[in-house]
Amino acid sequence: MTGATAEVGGTCPTCGQPIVATDSFCESCGTELAPAVASTASPGYTPECPVCSVDPSAPPGAISPDGYCESCGRKVPSGRDHAELDLGLLAGVTDRGLRHPRNEDAMALATAATPGGQVAIAVVCDGVSSSPRPDEASLAAAQTAVRVLLTSARRGDDPAESSLSAVRSAHEALTTLSSPGESPSATYVSAVVSGDAVSVCWLGDSRAYWLPAGPDGTAARLTIDDSVAEQLVARGAMGEAEAMASPQAHVITGWLGADLTEPEPHLSRFEPVGRGVVLVCSDGLWNYRPEAAGLAELALPDALSDPLGTAASLVKFALDAGGVDNITVVLIPFPPVSSAT
Amino acid sequence: MTESGFTIDVDQNQYLPEGGRDVSAIVTVTSAADATGFSGAGPAGGQTGSAEIIIIDCSGSMEYPHTKIAEARAATAAAIDVIRDGTWFAVIAGTNLAWPVFPADGSMAVADQGSRAAARQAVAGLRAGGGTAIGQWLGLARQTFSAYPASLRQAILLTDGKNQHETPEQLAAAISQCEGVFSCDCRGVGTDWEVSELRRISTALLGTVDIVPDPSGLAADFAAMMQTAMSKQVADVALRVWTPQSATVSFVKQVAPAVDDLTGRRTSRNPQAGDYPTGAWGPGESRDYHVGVEVTPAGIGQEMLAARVSLVASSPAGDEILGQGLIRAIWTDDEALSTKLNQRVAHYTGQAELAEAIQEGLEARKQGDEETATAKLGRAVALAHQSGNEDTAKLLAKVVDVVDVDTGTVRLKKQVEDADEMALDTRSTKTVRARK
Repeated sequence: MTGATAEVGGTCPTCGQPIVATDSFCESCGTELAPAVASTASPGYTPECPVCSVDPSAPPGAISPDGYCESCGRKVPSGRDHAELDLGLLAGVTDRGLRHPRNEDAMALATAATPGGQVAIAVVCDGVSSSPRPDEASLAAAQTAVRVLLTSARRGDDPAESSLSAVRSAHEALTTLSSPGESPSATYVSAVVSGDAVSVCWLGDSRAYWLPAGPDGTAARLTIDDSVAEQLVARGAMGEAEAMASPQAHVITGWLGADLTEPEPHLSRFEPVGRGVVLVCSDGLWNYRPEAAGLAELALPDALSDPLGTAASLVKFALDAGGVDNITVVLIPFPPVSSAT
Repeated sequence: MTESGFTIDVDQNQYLPEGGRDVSAIVTVTSAADATGFSGAGPAGGQTGSAEIIIIDCSGSMEYPHTKIAEARAATAAAIDVIRDGTWFAVIAGTNLAWPVFPADGSMAVADQGSRAAARQAVAGLRAGGGTAIGQWLGLARQTFSAYPASLRQAILLTDGKNQHETPEQLAAAISQCEGVFSCDCRGVGTDWEVSELRRISTALLGTVDIVPDPSGLAADFAAMMQTAMSKQVADVALRVWTPQSATVSFVKQVAPAVDDLTGRRTSRNPQAGDYPTGAWGPGESRDYHVGVEVTPAGIGQEMLAARVSLVASSPAGDEILGQGLIRAIWTDDEALSTKLNQRVAHYTGQAELAEAIQEGLEARKQGDEETATAKLGRAVALAHQSGNEDTAKLLAKVVDVVDVDTGTVRLKKQVEDADEMALDTRSTKTVRARK
């Protein structure tokens, strides 16, 4: 594990000067050394019509600035339809799925090398389809929140407090996106994973799970959905399977959006006893395997050593099961230790 | 407001069921309230860029009653008074032929105090006598306009009679030659003229048509019409509709302030795009268009751009896009989404049916087919009532006795004033605006 000593951590990618592993910014040129990443369209991504590009006799189709094929009119992938992010300490995959016209899920990941050790940070947001521009809402919320969480982690702030302040900032970001009568909205779940604890914060029905590596641990869900189904279960009105099958299963009772004056996020904290993986995901995955034990079976043991590959195979599992919704899967092996150290 | 001074809003249900092909949307085009918001291309470019011609019927019937020609002279003078300084203008008289009244040499004058006074004097000398050949009048107006490079050319045409001294074919040919050269507002005075004839002219030449039953109302109407004409600033604006390769435009209709089917007016720009003329625009104007597109279905969850609707100003310098809106199609297996009727699409579908029912009902009444007339006009009463089109409902009540508005049960009135029937006919296309 990385200690508190100022060890040399390679060179700055911008100016080439040596850097200290725990520095957030290069001492020479000020470049941010480990910036957060998000599931935006990747730089250099060139959209291509999925219909016209498979016809070899067709001329290369132009794509309009608003993202439609100029010959067949089909909406072309935005670059957000499928994204894979790998920061070593954690990795995530998001996918449009098979039935939705676009990917309204977003994820943002970050790592911080702090004097107390490595910290892995993930935020997953699922745009609320009945609100306007849900895709913009989810990305804005995730990007804003990860920024706050990263800065706080670097300072060594309390994860619970910084999680709440990240939600407040994300809420403000959605307020600036909104206009009268229009309030882009999204679900929200964040996980801050350090060497000794997992801090989770959420609104809505995107989830976090603990999936233990050894036979001694018990797989567990770390979030309780803000949903009608969950309320039915909590009141004892129905069993989980029955509630999930009910028509209102996916009606959420909590979210992030300008139509809420004051978001009331939930917090939970968990101290793992051994190795394992934190899974953060949207309902596009857990719809097909809601139980923590079932997800552990799918993800382990590969997720411990290959979070990216395993996130991709979990996404594939959801696609094979029907892919009705957008799917986002982030895996964070615990404890967060970079393979280099 | 965008920089061009125009905004385009699209209102539709973009969701289609599996295999669905028909996409329908209401496109609202609004020009900026402040004239300075208009962009460089297309507008008149100063007042000398616009030209106005007043065409006055001087056929013999204008003497009966004698006040008719007197009121027509007064109305023309009133319209001349509101022509703005710097505008090119002329007055033409028409019988079974046409001649320039002012300027007498067939040219156009630049409006100022002196030219307006001279024009009024020339008009005061107009006498009635002769037949009616409206195609001749339009032909002279076209020739007069053609010599002046105005970007905005508008005519006001007044008649009191039927087009008796030329064939319908001759009139049709004259109209088609004028299309795209100038726009024309038509007014029928009295009740001896043919609504369908003037409507054919005003529709083709992107103007309005109305009845002025009493000659004494002419002056106010003419002045108001010229005021409206003077407010127009952007000419030659077209709606350009782009569609995917496998799609076709089913129809393009203006639906507010009045129904005007533009489907047949398409000018192809390329295999995937066509222009539909909208005429001239003044500041603060807002019009609604109903656009229907038939697309080739894609799979559930796929999204397609069914049409891109642009407002295009054409000038010798090229085309300028003044605004743009997107009509989308998304296929879904969620019936709650795909079966939801868009309120404004439904409203305007009803308004178009209302206009059709009135015109067909009046035609049947004329042919003596009382059964069809009763059914059509009854349907019109129900539609006008449901959509809150009170003006049309009032006009209908002068032609039929309403028994039950909800079911559209009516009896044809035995005695109907010609003016009432003609007013209903000319105003049948006026719609009530559906707000979002």
